[in-house]
Amino acid sequence: MRDTVAKDILQAFLATLAAVFIYSVAGAAAPGLLIVFNAFSVVVIYFSVRRGEVFGAVLGTMCGLVQDAFSLGVFGVAGLTKTLLGFWIGYISRRIDVVPFTRNALFLLVLSVLETALWVLITAAVRLESVSLHGGLILLQPLVTAVLGSSLFALERRIRAKGSRGA
Amino acid sequence: MPLWEKRRSALVLAGLTVFHILLISVQVPRGAGKSLFEKGVFFVFSPVQRAASGAVRGIGALWNGYFDLRGVRAENQKLKKENFFLNQDVRFLEDRLQLGRSESELRASLDEFRGSLVAARVIGVDSANPHQTIVIDKGSLDGIDTNMTVCDRTGALVGRTIAPVSFKETMVQLITDKDSSVSVRSVVDGLTGSMTGRSTALCDLRYVLASASGGQPGEELRTTGFDKIYPAGIRVGTIQSLEENDESSPIFRRITVKPCFRYDTIDVVAVLTRGPGGGK
Repeated sequence: MRDTVAKDILQAFLATLAAVFIYSVAGAAAPGLLIVFNAFSVVVIYFSVRRGEVFGAVLGTMCGLVQDAFSLGVFGVAGLTKTLLGFWIGYISRRIDVVPFTRNALFLLVLSVLETALWVLITAAVRLESVSLHGGLILLQPLVTAVLGSSLFALERRIRAKGSRGA
Repeated sequence: MPLWEKRRSALVLAGLTVFHILLISVQVPRGAGKSLFEKGVFFVFSPVQRAASGAVRGIGALWNGYFDLRGVRAENQKLKKENFFLNQDVRFLEDRLQLGRSESELRASLDEFRGSLVAARVIGVDSANPHQTIVIDKGSLDGIDTNMTVCDRTGALVGRTIAPVSFKETMVQLITDKDSSVSVRSVVDGLTGSMTGRSTALCDLRYVLASASGGQPGEELRTTGFDKIYPAGIRVGTIQSLEENDESSPIFRRITVKPCFRYDTIDVVAVLTRGPGGGK
């Protein structure tokens, strides 16, 4: 049990590092990509479904604060929204079956929309100005996050199925 | 069963939420000046950002420099040709300038100008609003201070350096930021005013009296130097539209300006370390 937790913590740490790398690559290639694609959300979603709400909330805090530090925004806004995202996903996925691909994608889409909406609202409230929606590009972020997250789970299931057949 | 065991999830969530709310609270209200906390965050995280950006650039350079060399020869020929004509242009301009000043004076001023330039790379953008601030990879150790002029590759005005300035990183306020203001003049009709950002891709030219005539779409605006931050003569933007009879502002004309620089393509910038705002 303790080994599994340690392994997941290590994996989550490496995934966060990978998200930092992807964030930097996307920022260097085109700043617009940072709006459409949020690698930190994908990391939080993946580990929250696997490990539950407490792990999701703590990882959400870590990933969110790293995102805040990199995005020159108000330190803590992405931290708060990702904490809630991690908690909600971990909590709900323990109570309802979100394994089928379509249901999984819809579930992640709804929660990603909630996270993005909350981020826009809090940022606007803290900055006392409207947040740039980048010509509507930001609306794609939940969709991209949901598609990537559910594809990741589908890929993992396929790999596991192949592994068990091989054994 | 103790309360912690029964309500562990709820307590963790409540603790983390309170932590974030406190964290956000110490940063509001957000004024023009940065708080000690914000400066601290910048000092701690900007080197990480710089390292990540450097690693990405290193991998890109490795790919471009060793593996992906297709079309380099053709590009090299094209650059040589462009360089030839640029050299001719420089020579022509130097000849013209020498009509007014001696060669030694000219060389001295050219050397001084070159010595005051610091090339920097953009390592971060504000993802909530990319028209407000960026971070560059040069800091106080490179001679950067606040209120220094920042231009893009083509020499168009990008903005000015603002606090926080760490050892190797600096924040730059873009001219499109709503809190930015630049004194400008149109090159043809001489309309003089203050260009302020909207935190979007466009800016406003303010305080041009409704009685002032002239000005047309496409006319270029340059800095005047009156604001004591930006040197005079730097390209800033072009007039996009003029509204003659604006009922909301009967005293001043409503003029929209399109900045010359494009936020989505700036990767390298030049910081002018000497000048009116540099204080050196």
